[in-house]
Amino acid sequence: MKTGGVRRPCPGRRRLLGLVLLLACAGAAWAQVDEGADEAHVKAAFLYKFTGYVDWPDSAFDPPGASFVIGVQGSPALLGELSQLIAGRKIHERPVQVRSIAAGDSLDGLQVLFVGRSESFRGEASSPVLIVTEADGSMPRGSMINFLVIDRHVRFVIALPTVEQAGLRMSSRLLSVAQKVIQAEEH
Amino acid sequence: MAPLWTSVIRSIRYKIALLMLASVCCALLVAGVALSLYEISDYRQQAMNELGTQADILGRASASALAFDDARAVKENLQLLSNHPGLQAAAIYAARGRRMGEFRGADAAQVSIPDLPEADGIHVSGNHVIVFKRVVENGEIVGTVYLNGRYELMARLRDFLGILCAVMVFSLMVTGLLSVWLQRAFTQPILAVTSAAHRVVALKDFSLRVPKTTEDEVGYLVEAFNGMLAKLGQREQDLAASQRLLEQEVEERRRVDEDLRNLNAQLELHVAQRTAQLETANKELESFSYSVSHDLRTPLRGVVGFADALLEDHGEDLDEEAQRKLRIVHGEGLRMGRLIDDLLAFSRLGRKALQTVEVDMEGLARNAWKSVAGPDAGSSLRLELGRLPPVQGDPALLTQVWINLLSNAVKFSAKREQALVSISAITDGEEHVYFVRDNGAGFNPKYQDKLFGVFQRLHDSDAYAGTGVGLALVQRIVLRHGGRVWAEGQPDQGATFYFALPKEPLHEPL
Repeated sequence: MKTGGVRRPCPGRRRLLGLVLLLACAGAAWAQVDEGADEAHVKAAFLYKFTGYVDWPDSAFDPPGASFVIGVQGSPALLGELSQLIAGRKIHERPVQVRSIAAGDSLDGLQVLFVGRSESFRGEASSPVLIVTEADGSMPRGSMINFLVIDRHVRFVIALPTVEQAGLRMSSRLLSVAQKVIQAEEH
Repeated sequence: MAPLWTSVIRSIRYKIALLMLASVCCALLVAGVALSLYEISDYRQQAMNELGTQADILGRASASALAFDDARAVKENLQLLSNHPGLQAAAIYAARGRRMGEFRGADAAQVSIPDLPEADGIHVSGNHVIVFKRVVENGEIVGTVYLNGRYELMARLRDFLGILCAVMVFSLMVTGLLSVWLQRAFTQPILAVTSAAHRVVALKDFSLRVPKTTEDEVGYLVEAFNGMLAKLGQREQDLAASQRLLEQEVEERRRVDEDLRNLNAQLELHVAQRTAQLETANKELESFSYSVSHDLRTPLRGVVGFADALLEDHGEDLDEEAQRKLRIVHGEGLRMGRLIDDLLAFSRLGRKALQTVEVDMEGLARNAWKSVAGPDAGSSLRLELGRLPPVQGDPALLTQVWINLLSNAVKFSAKREQALVSISAITDGEEHVYFVRDNGAGFNPKYQDKLFGVFQRLHDSDAYAGTGVGLALVQRIVLRHGGRVWAEGQPDQGATFYFALPKEPLHEPL
């Protein structure tokens, strides 16, 4: 009886718990985008969520206890949103840092790099880095995920070969919600 | 209904069939109730589990779509459930509660889908099972799944009970057939015994035997029944044999009886003849003695009369010695006259019919005492007269009895200074016993049987006068009344004379 009670709390308490969680979610800073919401806010949230569907090899972290570092290049708005969002959160059990990156900076120590619309992306990384861009039109070379805005909704395209080349593994669940998945090299 | 019930309680066959049917019914009912209860709780649990699982799967599948706000993918996922038969409605809400997609079953247009998600959980409401399930992705709540499934307990229970009823009917039919088949094996031997018993009772035929077909208790019963029949048959044969024997014996005895009766009749004839001869002889003897006595009186009267006349007329002429001798002649003549009178009386007794009336014995005894003792009975002679019951008899003859017995008593106690004669009686069931007791000379019991003989004297006539006929007369009279006489006594210690008379007088044959 006792174990049953533990496994299945009474409905009233469960309902209360649900309500509390809902309120917490609603109040959370990263809350999901609605129509008219700030695009940067949504993209920051997506960027954060992508990390949950991607696996980095252990070699990506040097030293092994290093923080999870997200680099943002050329998008101060997104940098600000992201900084707010990650406060107090962890990614893959690691503390998270958000770093502003300038063009030409070394990508060492980064796990994710967001490249703003105005920036050109260039550079090689010694460790696997998830490259996210927001280029209009075609997918920039080297980009793994590219944001689009369709019907005022933020969507994204995934270039799977680039991801795999980088040594990252991406969950099929992420692929299933992508606007488009590029399977082979288009360039 | 009544004849059916009667045949049920009258026959073990129907009882067994009824027993089996009742047992099966009970077992099925109990099982049915238990299964129904289990089904009710199980169905609820199962419905909730199933819908919960569905919600889980839908949530997992839609998690990434929710995370990336992909309404199209959410709707696609919802469409996957459209073929689920138990599902009436489904919806998926975003984390903030916005409904991103919904789905209604074809027959569930009236089902309302809530605008906002409710708390996490599964509950049953009326005919619906309702699930709200939070979708959690990478530690974040990204949305809620809502499922509304059918919960048709009543329909389910109805189906279940229908099946149960069908099973029951089928089981009862099978049981009925089975019981017909089984109880035949079971009751056949009993019915065989029963019909044999009926035939035995109806025909009294003890040679019947029931075949033994089973080795169980019924088999034992059959054996015992056969054994009893055999014993009964044997006993009846024995009885018949002994009855034949008895009849033979009775026949034989009857024959012997008849022989005996014949013999008896012959004997009685002989006795009657002899008795007649004897009576004739006796009568001849009596008339002879009567005529002899009568004829003797006439010359004796002459002797006494003339002796008396001689003494009266010529007494002075004779000397003293001659007078004395003449007086002796006169006295002896008188004595002889009395003797002859007594003899006459004795013989007369045999020729006279009894005049039987009710006799006051006390009065007779008192009068007899007066005439025996005389009016001047001195103080030396005393009588004690007890209560004497009356009796049927001839008063004249009974007076003679009393006179003879009392004079006998007075005579033999005359030498006592204080003579006492007592008269009394004892009565038993059949007779009155009267007795006269004196304290006189008594007698030697050795000669008791001679007391009542004619001319028998125990004392010499010089000491005690008498003819020796008195007691013989007493015996004769009492015997003629159907009674008996006897006496007790010792020399010098008095004597007691008894005579017993029957209460019912004997009808005297003449």
